[in-house]
Amino acid sequence: MTTLMIISWRNIWRNRTRTLVIITALILGIMGGVFSAAMRLAAEEQQFEDTVENMISHIQIHHPEFIANPEAQYRIPDGEAIAGDIRGQNGIASVSARLVFDGMAASANMNAGVRIKGVDSEDEARTTKLDELLEEGSYFTEEWRLPSVIIGRALAKELLVETGSRIVLTFQDIDGGIVSSSFRVEALYAVTSRRFEERTVFVKAGVLQELAGEPGAVTEIAILLDDVDRYREATDELRAEYPGLEVRHWADMDPTLHYSLELLDQLLIYLVGIIILGVSFGLLNTILMSILERVRELGVLLSIGMKRLKVFFMVVVETTMIAILGGVAGLILSFFMIRFLNHRGVHIPGGEGLEDFGFAAVLYPDLPTSFYFEIGGVVILFAILASIYPAWKAIRLAPAEAVRQE
Amino acid sequence: MQTVIKTEGLSKTYTNTAVPVHALKDISLEFKEGEFTAIVGPSGSGKTTFLNVIGGLDKPTKGKVVIDDVDIATMKESQLFDFRLRHIGFVFQAYNLIPVLTAIENVSFIMLLQKKPKKEMEARAREMLEQVGLSDKLHERPSRLSGGQQQRVAVARALASKPDFVLADEPTANLDTKSAFNLLDIMARLNKEENITLIFSTHDQRVIDRARRVITLVDGAVDKDEHIDKD
Repeated sequence: MTTLMIISWRNIWRNRTRTLVIITALILGIMGGVFSAAMRLAAEEQQFEDTVENMISHIQIHHPEFIANPEAQYRIPDGEAIAGDIRGQNGIASVSARLVFDGMAASANMNAGVRIKGVDSEDEARTTKLDELLEEGSYFTEEWRLPSVIIGRALAKELLVETGSRIVLTFQDIDGGIVSSSFRVEALYAVTSRRFEERTVFVKAGVLQELAGEPGAVTEIAILLDDVDRYREATDELRAEYPGLEVRHWADMDPTLHYSLELLDQLLIYLVGIIILGVSFGLLNTILMSILERVRELGVLLSIGMKRLKVFFMVVVETTMIAILGGVAGLILSFFMIRFLNHRGVHIPGGEGLEDFGFAAVLYPDLPTSFYFEIGGVVILFAILASIYPAWKAIRLAPAEAVRQE
Repeated sequence: MQTVIKTEGLSKTYTNTAVPVHALKDISLEFKEGEFTAIVGPSGSGKTTFLNVIGGLDKPTKGKVVIDDVDIATMKESQLFDFRLRHIGFVFQAYNLIPVLTAIENVSFIMLLQKKPKKEMEARAREMLEQVGLSDKLHERPSRLSGGQQQRVAVARALASKPDFVLADEPTANLDTKSAFNLLDIMARLNKEENITLIFSTHDQRVIDRARRVITLVDGAVDKDEHIDKD
């Protein structure tokens, strides 16, 4: 066995240039695959965190009419009690019960259509991390005469206001009457979606409920799960529990995001598949050439009594050795490449334009360590598969003819 | 003397050609232990085919090859691999050493496949390389040896595992006169000392002059079978 390994090892260095070329191809292929996977994961995590975890949450519950007509009259009956029940269930990380409806925001100079969300500041911080998204200002701590409102950076630009400025929010109360009230901008938040920043403002739930005419009114319950992968089961359970309410998970609420993540997954599988296939065929070609150059020598091995299985094994070992060399070097270089890019960030050309759609302009690629082992395993598996044809060619040689080959 | 190889009515016809080629025709021969035989004849007379068939590298179309009371013509391929490994030594025309192994590794290789103990294997490989005058080249790879030296390593490899007989297919064809004589001296000495049966296919008069038996093949059939008394 050891001698076979020694022969295999020495064989792969018989044509140093050819071996180095295929090892380089393996390294570049692995780096390409790892980079693609890390970027996809970063894009997915960024989009998911920004869109789902910071904005819409994993699951939302509404009155069935609310989706088409986001008005205060479509409240969730006993909304606060339901939110309390859900909060106590297993697998629920946090719950934010909100009073939400559409209205207008006006400054001294401009006005804009907005969605006004009345929230419990602590529940909202736990559910959407709104307190961590602030670019300037404080999180519902000011004791001004006017109630506080937290608005998006983009809306502030549109209304030409800043923290401390006064704005007027106008909306319909539960009876359909028009209510206008002044608020002071306590903070500006920033998310990757400019549309969300322009459209969404946060005020304290108590203030909004009082203005809307019904203390304790809730039109939206946002839920964050401990394990996001359970979102479908958790949604089904809540639907069964609250049949009169509209329970939707993030993929229902933002199908574009869901499909774009699925598409990214599919593209990555195709891309990595093509890279691995390309590299495997390169490896196959290298080993096949090396076999065709060694016909006479293989004939000698078969003539003197080396069994075909051993010859087969020798070719597989040679291929696997090349794959291990290229694979290990590729994974080590990939690891440092990802570390570097994670630290520095990857600027997406034209990424600023994509921010309107919830994409970040700078991604920070990262990969779990297990992925490196997985891709290493896949490379070795494909190397072994790629070695089968050359190994089969080698063992099909007729020894008597092979030893006389020029 | 004991019979090492016996062929009975051995025929070989190649049918994968436009016209069937009768490479061997009804050859019945016996080779005794310790014989030094030269198979001679013009090109295409069937010398190599004969060696391939008695070496288990090719199967006869008809007839028997009995070695050690076993007809190897009826053996399965996997049995033939084992049989060649344990009973036959090969020396090829073009040296055919494994280029990535050193001289001593090349000589040890067959014993390694035979799963001989490492110490015994190394000692025997050294002894054989000494016998062929290459004790100073143990760790050289074939590319650093001359043609004559490579062929001597090939002889050491063929004899190291103490086979029942050695088949040498034109072993001196690529050697200069000095190397050829040197190689033949070594083989003749080993033939005597180790009582190994040597069967050469050759055109080379230098080999024919050393042989104690010369079999002439013409068109695949035995034309002459001469025993030459060298004593």
